[in-house]
Amino acid sequence: MTGKQKKAFWNAVQTGLIVMATLIMLVPIAWIFMAAFKSHVDVYQLKLFFRPTLENFALVFREPYNLGEKLWNSTLVALATVVIAIPIATMAAYSFSRFRLRGETVMLVTILATQFVPAVVIILPFFVMFRDVGLLDTRLGLILVNLAIVMPFAIWMIKGFIDGIPLDTEEAAMVDGSSRLQVIRNIVLPMAAPGLLTAGIFCFILAWNEFLFALILTSKDAVTLPIGLALFKAEEGDLWNLLSAAGIIIMLPMFILALMIRKFFVQGMTMGAVR
Amino acid sequence: MAEVVLKNLTKRWGGFVGVDNQSLHIADKEFLVLLGPSGCGKTTTMRMIAGLEEPSSGEIWIGERMVNDDLPKDRDVAMVFQNYGLYPHMSVFDNIAYPLKVRGTPKADIAPRVRAAAEKVELTHLLDRRPKALSGGQRQRVALARAIVRTPQVFLMDEPLSNLDAKLRVSMRAELKHLSRELQITTIYVTHDQIEAMTLADRVAVMNHGVIQQLGTPDEIYNDPANLFVAGFIGSPAMNLIDGSIREGHFVTTGGTRLTAVRAADRARVVLGVRADDLRVSEPGEGDIDVPIYAFENTGEATLLTVQWGQQRVIARGDRHLRKEQNDIVGLSLNPDHLYLFDPDTGRRLTA
Ligand SMILES: Nc1ncnc2c1ncn2[C@@H]1O[C@H](COP(=O)(O)OP(=O)(O)OP(=O)(O)O)[C@@H](O)[C@H]1O
Ligand SMILES: [Mg+2]
Repeated sequence: MTGKQKKAFWNAVQTGLIVMATLIMLVPIAWIFMAAFKSHVDVYQLKLFFRPTLENFALVFREPYNLGEKLWNSTLVALATVVIAIPIATMAAYSFSRFRLRGETVMLVTILATQFVPAVVIILPFFVMFRDVGLLDTRLGLILVNLAIVMPFAIWMIKGFIDGIPLDTEEAAMVDGSSRLQVIRNIVLPMAAPGLLTAGIFCFILAWNEFLFALILTSKDAVTLPIGLALFKAEEGDLWNLLSAAGIIIMLPMFILALMIRKFFVQGMTMGAVR
Repeated sequence: MAEVVLKNLTKRWGGFVGVDNQSLHIADKEFLVLLGPSGCGKTTTMRMIAGLEEPSSGEIWIGERMVNDDLPKDRDVAMVFQNYGLYPHMSVFDNIAYPLKVRGTPKADIAPRVRAAAEKVELTHLLDRRPKALSGGQRQRVALARAIVRTPQVFLMDEPLSNLDAKLRVSMRAELKHLSRELQITTIYVTHDQIEAMTLADRVAVMNHGVIQQLGTPDEIYNDPANLFVAGFIGSPAMNLIDGSIREGHFVTTGGTRLTAVRAADRARVVLGVRADDLRVSEPGEGDIDVPIYAFENTGEATLLTVQWGQQRVIARGDRHLRKEQNDIVGLSLNPDHLYLFDPDTGRRLTA
């Protein structure tokens, strides 16, 4: 084989492998996607051609499933988590990045270390605590829990982006007449915007998918979508068609966000310095 | 418009001294150049004046005010950073306009002033670009325009022309000189480039290891160096420094050659300094000494002769029409009016 042929051959092999891996990963999703549009009788058959129906999507929003309520809870909890987490994390990240704080390294490592504790270990104390202050089965309680989960990630992620902004740029702005707050508003935030967006989306996904805490800490009023899926276990077995429809409702925002995150992530990485 | 006074300014990082007990009085409207080798503390001095670096000790005065505790924004200075410090998310126009906007200049005034500044540095055709889409020299000009768009008390310029090509550098140098005469604003200017220093400065401060070695007009620095460091640093080619002693009133090289052109009090060890221009090249036998040529270079506007004098090599500047070959013997004579003697131990200049 010539060098050119060799290269073409390896390219073909690579492409083949990638397509295969993608297919393997996509099969469950494809299955769910199809199941969501199948009628109850069709679900257990691996038919590729069937009469699609939107009935499942209508059903899940009706009694007794009431997915709308859960969708509302999930949206509210995830959005509130992001809206609270990102500004606070940005302030923390800016301080960690730009000021010399006493015990900075210790604090940063501690923040990260909270993530090493398995959730199962701390869930009981959370339960007891929330019961005592009346936060059980409330959205506020879930928001607090989610904040605890996403903050370390958000701080570390945003700090990385702010670290990438050259100090010179900020110093120039200060000499040009900006106060520290103006520097942050006019220089740091616009330059870190792709990073903040990425971190925000990331936090949203974490909060949206959070399962364990929501399972233990909610029962009726504050139930979120992932927990809501458990409702589709009926006496006659799992209601796969409804489960799939709900699954798609959960996945849809994630798909959109994942696409966005990709775009901004690349932008955030390449924005960097101008020297 | 204001004078700038540094009183015993020191910057230490742990045990390392970046700027050492520096005192400097820069007059109102003066153009002062800080000149020195890399790492001698030029940028650090500037950053302390701008308020970006906190002095370890000492005072900084701008005008009537001690500004040690003032924020950079309250010092009313404009700075050109060594590595530009442009705002990558703003267009060139917005970069230049930023100091005006943030200081609350009326909207109507901004555009004409930005345009005027951009014109001075030949940037008008690039105002819509982002800094990322500019060459190094163009970015440097944006930084310059951003500094001159306002009328601050003091200009701080950290090697503002270092990334321009030779031709643009010459024209920008003239532009800067013109600007500084026109604007009449106190300017502190850092450079490696001696020609920039000589042409732009009212006074030059030659720095080494965080200490000002000599402060004087370009003329004084060049023709009246205070010590060996300044003598060796200023001038291209560098001043010839020849080891020897003074015996019976005349300089004697370590090789034993006696030079009657040099008269001084006897001394066991001295260094004789003589510039290439102050050595006259002649036919063998016609000068003070005869020496073989080690290398002959023609720069176009002059010729440079490196000659082997005993153990040492000495550079002389010859007429541009002179033609010699390696190993040819030439005569050299010293101009007795422009010779310098230094103490080799302290480096200090000896006055005759
Ligand atoms: N933050 C810092 N911590 C420790 N040492 C520093 C720091 N900043 C500068 N220095 C040291 O201080 C000395 C002076 O630095 P400075 O940047 O003022 O040099 P300079 O004269 O501007 O050099 P150049 O011509 O290369 O720009 C250098 O030896 C440098 O290594
Ligand atoms: Mg420097």
